[in-house]
Amino acid sequence: MFSEVSAPQEGSCSLLLCRPGSEDQEPSVFDRVKPAYSPCSERFKLGERSFNRQYAHIYATRLMQMSPLLTERAQQKWGADVRIRKLCDLQMGEQCCIVGTLFKHMELQPSILKEISEEHNLLPQPPRTRYISESDELILEDELQRIKLEGNIDVDKFVTGSVIAIYGAEKNDGKFTVDDFCTADLPPQAPRTTLSSDRFVLLLSGLGLGGSHADSMLALQLLVDMVTGHLGDQGEQSGASTISRVLLAGNLLSQSTQDKDASTKAKYLTKKTQAGTVDAMRLLDEMLMQLVSSVPVDVMPGQYDPTNYTLPQQPLHHCMFPLSSSYPTLQLASNPHQATLDGVRILGTSGQNVKDIQKYSSMDSHLEILENTLRLRHLAPTAPDTLGCYPFYLKDPFILEECPHVYFSGNAPSYQAKRITGAEGQEVLLVAIPEFSSTQTACLVNLRTLECEPIRFSSFSAGDDEESEMNISH
Amino acid sequence: MSVENTPSLSVCLSAMTAKRAALITDSYKVVKRSRREEKREKRAPSPPQKDTEPRPLTAREIELQELRQFDQDWRYGPCTGISRLQRWERAAQHGLNPPQEIRDMLLSADTDPDYTHCLWSDYPL
Repeated sequence: MFSEVSAPQEGSCSLLLCRPGSEDQEPSVFDRVKPAYSPCSERFKLGERSFNRQYAHIYATRLMQMSPLLTERAQQKWGADVRIRKLCDLQMGEQCCIVGTLFKHMELQPSILKEISEEHNLLPQPPRTRYISESDELILEDELQRIKLEGNIDVDKFVTGSVIAIYGAEKNDGKFTVDDFCTADLPPQAPRTTLSSDRFVLLLSGLGLGGSHADSMLALQLLVDMVTGHLGDQGEQSGASTISRVLLAGNLLSQSTQDKDASTKAKYLTKKTQAGTVDAMRLLDEMLMQLVSSVPVDVMPGQYDPTNYTLPQQPLHHCMFPLSSSYPTLQLASNPHQATLDGVRILGTSGQNVKDIQKYSSMDSHLEILENTLRLRHLAPTAPDTLGCYPFYLKDPFILEECPHVYFSGNAPSYQAKRITGAEGQEVLLVAIPEFSSTQTACLVNLRTLECEPIRFSSFSAGDDEESEMNISH
Repeated sequence: MSVENTPSLSVCLSAMTAKRAALITDSYKVVKRSRREEKREKRAPSPPQKDTEPRPLTAREIELQELRQFDQDWRYGPCTGISRLQRWERAAQHGLNPPQEIRDMLLSADTDPDYTHCLWSDYPL
C-alpha cells in the first residue's frame, strides 16, 4: 500500500526540523522508477473523418464480430447441441437460442422526430436524469428481423446496442419468451509479468479548471507537490518516487468554460471577451509543466474539453500546451485510452459511456455499470444510439478483444474499486475514479498487487474561522 | 363492363337529344366510339409480343448485374456509403468468405464508377 511505503520513519521528523545541511553534504536524491510503457490505442485514432455514412454499418460490424463469440458462449452454457436459429427460421414453440443486438424501446427517450413534428405541437422535452419507465420493451434484432422479448429478463438492466444470446421459445403471439440469456463475458487475458517492487500509477480525473469556485486548486497544488516530491520528508519523497505514471482521465476543464451564451448574445457584446477555455487551458498547461518535468503524464480528454464531441475523442492538440509539450514525458492520449505499463494492461474512458448507460438503465453505481460493460465485452454499447460516435464501417473499435488488468472510468461521483475474476481466471481491477473538483480524491493503483487505494487532499475552505490547516490523509 | 354499358346509354341519349337540337356531344360521341374500338383492337395483339427473345446482355451488363447481387446480399451488411471494394474487404476480414470473382471484377475496373460505387450511390446518404 502506498501509505506503508511513504509512512514517516523513526526520527524522520527531526530531519525536517534540523538545521540546513552544510554546503558539501550531498542531498539525497530518489530516482523515479521507469516502467516500460507502450500505448496501444491506435484503434481509437481516426485518420480521415468522413461523416457521409449511416450508422447502420457499426451495428452490422458489431453483430458480425460478436456472433461467433456468442454462439461459442451459448454452446458452453446450454450444451453443444443447442439449436442456434436466425430469427427468420424460428418455429413456434421450439426451444432454441437466438443471437442479436438489443434495442430498448423507451417512451421517454427524446426523439427528434417527435420534437419537430408540427402536428404534435410539442415543446422540446426538458433534459431528465433518467429516461426509463415502466412501459419499456426489449426487442432483439439480428441481420434481417426483430422480435419482442418477454419473460425472464430484467428490462431495466439492459441498454440498446448490447449484443447477447437468448435461450427460449417463440410463443403464439409473435413474442419470444426468454428462459435464460448470456453475454459474451470477459475476453481472454494475457498473463502479466510479476514485478519485484511496488510501482504505482496515479489515476486522476475531473480537475475542473477554469470553474467558478476554486476550492480544489489548493488540493491540486498539494497533489502536484506530492507527486513531484516537494512535500514531506525523506519517507514521503521516496514514496513519491514509486509513482511511475500519472493518468488524467478527462474533464480537465470545468463545465462552466463551455459558455453557450457567446453564440446567442449579440456580436458587439461578445467581440472583446475571451472564451473561458483560454484561461483554463493556460492554467492546465502550467500545472502540467510542473508534473511533466518530473513524471510521465497521460492526458485524456473528457466531456468538457476542447476536442471533438463524438467518441472516440481525439487527443488534445499539442499547440494548446506550449510550455509542457516540449517535454517528452507528456503523452496526449485519446478517449478511450489503452496502454501497457510493465506488462499490466490499462484501459479506460473519461466516463461518458458510463454516464450514458446510467441515464438509460436503472443502475446507479458507476462500478456496477463498468462491470456490466466488461461482461458485455463492449466499452460503449449505447453508441451510436444515444452517445455520439464516429460512423465506423470496417470494425467496431469499442469491442474488447483482450481483457485489461486495470479497467477504469473517470468522473464518477465517488471513489469505488473492485477486483473481479472471470470464468477463465482473468483478474481485473475495476476503478471508478472520482471527480477531483468535488471530492479532492485521486486513486493510486499498485501495479504489483493490482490493488487500488484512494488518496485524499483536504483543506479547509476560507469560510472557517480558524487558521487554515492542510492535511494529507491516506 | 361499364364500357359496354355506356354506348347503349349514350345511344339512347343521343336519340333523345337529336329530336330537340344538334348538340356538340353528337360529334364527341362519334370520336369516343372509334377510340374505344381502337383500344379493343389494340388489346388483342399485345400478348404475342412478349414471346420474342430479349436481346442478350453484354459481358459488362452481366458483371454489373452480379455486382448488384453482391450489393443486395444480406450476409455482408449494409452497402450504402462505402465502395464495393471496402465492403468486400470488410466481409473478408470478418470471415464471411465473399466470392473472389467479385474482387477480381472490382480490381480490374477500378476507375469505372458503375463498378466501384454501390447500387444506391446516386442517392444522398
